[in-house]
Amino acid sequence: MSNIYANSYAIVFVFLCLGVLLPVGALTLGRWLRPHVPSEAKETTYESGNNPFHDSRIQFQVRYYLFALLFVIFDVETVFFYPWAVVYDQLGLFAFVEMVLFITLLALGLIYAWKKKVLRWM
Amino acid sequence: MMEQWLESAPSWSNIALFFGLGALLLAVVLAFVTYSILAERKVMGFMQGRIGPNQVGGRFGLLQTVADVLKLLLKEDTIPKAADRPLYVLAPVIAFAPSFMVLAVVPFTDAFRFADLGVGLLYYIAVSGLTIVGVITGGWASNNKYALLGGMRAAAQMISYEIPLVMSALGVVLLAGSMNLVDIVNAQQDVWFLFAQPLAFLIFLIAAVAELNRTPFDLPEAESELVAGFHVEYSGFRWAFFMLAEYVYMFAMAALITVLFLGGWHPVAFLGWIPGAVWFALKFCAVVFVFIWFRATFPRVRADQLMEFAWKVLLPLSLANIVLTAVVKAWFF
Amino acid sequence: MSGTDIAFFLLALAAIAGAVMMLQLTNVVHMVLSLVMTFLAIAGLYVLLSAEFVAVVQVLIYSGAITIIMLFAIMLTRHHADDKERQTTGGVGHKAAAAFAVLAFGLAVYAGIRTLDFGADGSALPADNAKAIGQWLYSYYTIPFEIVSVLLLVALIGAIVLAKKDGKGAEDE
Repeated sequence: MSNIYANSYAIVFVFLCLGVLLPVGALTLGRWLRPHVPSEAKETTYESGNNPFHDSRIQFQVRYYLFALLFVIFDVETVFFYPWAVVYDQLGLFAFVEMVLFITLLALGLIYAWKKKVLRWM
Repeated sequence: MMEQWLESAPSWSNIALFFGLGALLLAVVLAFVTYSILAERKVMGFMQGRIGPNQVGGRFGLLQTVADVLKLLLKEDTIPKAADRPLYVLAPVIAFAPSFMVLAVVPFTDAFRFADLGVGLLYYIAVSGLTIVGVITGGWASNNKYALLGGMRAAAQMISYEIPLVMSALGVVLLAGSMNLVDIVNAQQDVWFLFAQPLAFLIFLIAAVAELNRTPFDLPEAESELVAGFHVEYSGFRWAFFMLAEYVYMFAMAALITVLFLGGWHPVAFLGWIPGAVWFALKFCAVVFVFIWFRATFPRVRADQLMEFAWKVLLPLSLANIVLTAVVKAWFF
Repeated sequence: MSGTDIAFFLLALAAIAGAVMMLQLTNVVHMVLSLVMTFLAIAGLYVLLSAEFVAVVQVLIYSGAITIIMLFAIMLTRHHADDKERQTTGGVGHKAAAAFAVLAFGLAVYAGIRTLDFGADGSALPADNAKAIGQWLYSYYTIPFEIVSVLLLVALIGAIVLAKKDGKGAEDE
C-alpha cells in the first residue's frame, strides 16, 4: 500500500468517526438540556388527530419492488461502465464496439420494460 | 500542504492531524448550513416579495438560524410507544454519517483537500446511497402510516434518479480518463466540462435536485399529503439531523457539480491572479443559488410524472450521451 | 501490531458480529440492517487488500442496491413487528454439539490456513485499480463481459415476467 492510499483511507475512517460522533455527541449533550416529561398522549402515533388504528406496516404495491429491481440491474451495469470509461483512451475502437453492444442490450431491456408498462407509476 | 501530509508515512499523529482538519471542515459545513438556510429564506423572501427573517441578530436576521438550532436543542424528544426504539434512534445517524463522509473526497482547492482516492467519484455515489437505507429505516421504525409511505416514496425517488446521475457523470469520466476528482478538475484547465458536456450537465443537475429531495422533486416531504414525510414522528435534535443531512448533501452536491462541470478552482480566462479558493467559492455559491431559485420558481411535480421522467427521459438521454461522447472522443480527439 | 492489523481485526469482528446478529435477531428489518454492517465491514477488508474499486462496488451494489431491494421485498410482504414466534432452541445436548462443531470448524480452518502460502501481497497490485480492471476486462475477457450483459438482460426480462403476473392479478381484483 502506498502512503497516499493508506492516508486517504485513514481520512475516510476519520470522517466516518466524525459523522457518527456529531449526532451521538449532540444528542447526549441535548439530554441534559431538554425537558423530559413523557405522557400517554405524547407517545401515541401521530395520525392527523385521529386515534391511530390498525397496523401501520402495510403491504406495498409490487411496482415499488419492480423499480428496485430495475435499479439493481442498472446499478450493476454502471459498475461495468466506469472501468471502461477510464481505459477508453487506451483501448480505442474495439472497446467502443464492445460497449455499443452492451448499451444496445441494456436499451433492449429498458424498451421491454417500457412496453410491458413497468415504467408506469400509477 | 495536504499533499505532503498524504505522502508521509501513516501514523497515529497523522490520524490525529486528519481528525483536527476534519473537525475544522465539519465546523465550516455547519456554518454553511446555518447561513444557507438563512440565505434560502432571504432569497425566497425576495423572490416572493416578502422580507424574510429580520428580527433576530440585526436587520438581516443573521442569528435567526442559530436561534432555531438552539430551540431545537432544547425541545423535548419524544419517541412514540409504537416505534421500534433501537432503529428509531439509529436512523438519523445512518442518514447523517454518509452525508459527511462523502466530503472526504471533494477537492476544494489545490491545497485544501482531503482523501485522494483513485475511485473518488464512485466513492461519492456509493456512500451517498447509504442515506436511502437510513431514510427507509426512519420511516419504518416510526411505525406511522405517513412516515412509512414517505420513506418508501423517498427511497423510490432516490433510487430512480441515482441511475441518471451516475450515467451522466460517466461522460465526464470518459473525457477526463479518471475517476479521481483532482484529475477531473485538472482536465478542465482549458475548457470546463459544462461546455464539453452540456447534456450531461443538464441531466446531472436535474438528477441532483431530485436526489436532494428539493423542489420541484420534494414529494417525499409533501406537507399537504404526507404531513412531513419519513420524519413525521421525529422531533427536536433527532429531526434536526435528518434536516442537517439534507443540507450537508446540498453542500456536497454543489461542491461536486463545481468539481465535475465548472472547473473546480480553475479561474476564468485572464483572471488568474484571484486565488483558486475564491473561484471555487464563487462557483459553489452560484450552484447553491440555482438550487434556491428552483425552489422559489417551480411547482411540485406529480408522483407519476416524477418516476416516469427519470426512467423514460433522463435514462435514455444519458445513455445516448455516453455513446455520443465516446464517438466524439474516438473520432475528433 | 501495526495499524493495518488492528483495522483487520476490528473489521473482521464487525463482519462476524453482523452475520451473527443477522441470524439471531427476530425482526426482518433488524436482520437486513445487521447485514448492511457485514457488507460495510467486508468493503473495509477490501480496502485493506488495496482493492479500492471492489470495495466501492461492494458499498454501491450490496450496501446500497441489494439492501434496498431486500427492504422493498419486505415491504411487499405482510410483515408485523410483533409476530415474534421464537423457535425452540433445543436442549443442552444440542447446544453442546453446536459449540463442539464451531470449535472443530475453527480448528480445522486454522490448521488449513496456518502454513498456506498466499503468494505476493497486496502491495504488488497496481495503484490504479479501475484502470487495471478495465484493461483486463475489455481486452482479455471480452466474451465473458458480453455474456454478462446478456445475463443482465435475461434477469431483467425474467423479473418483469414474474412480477407482472402478480400485477395482472392485482389489476383484475
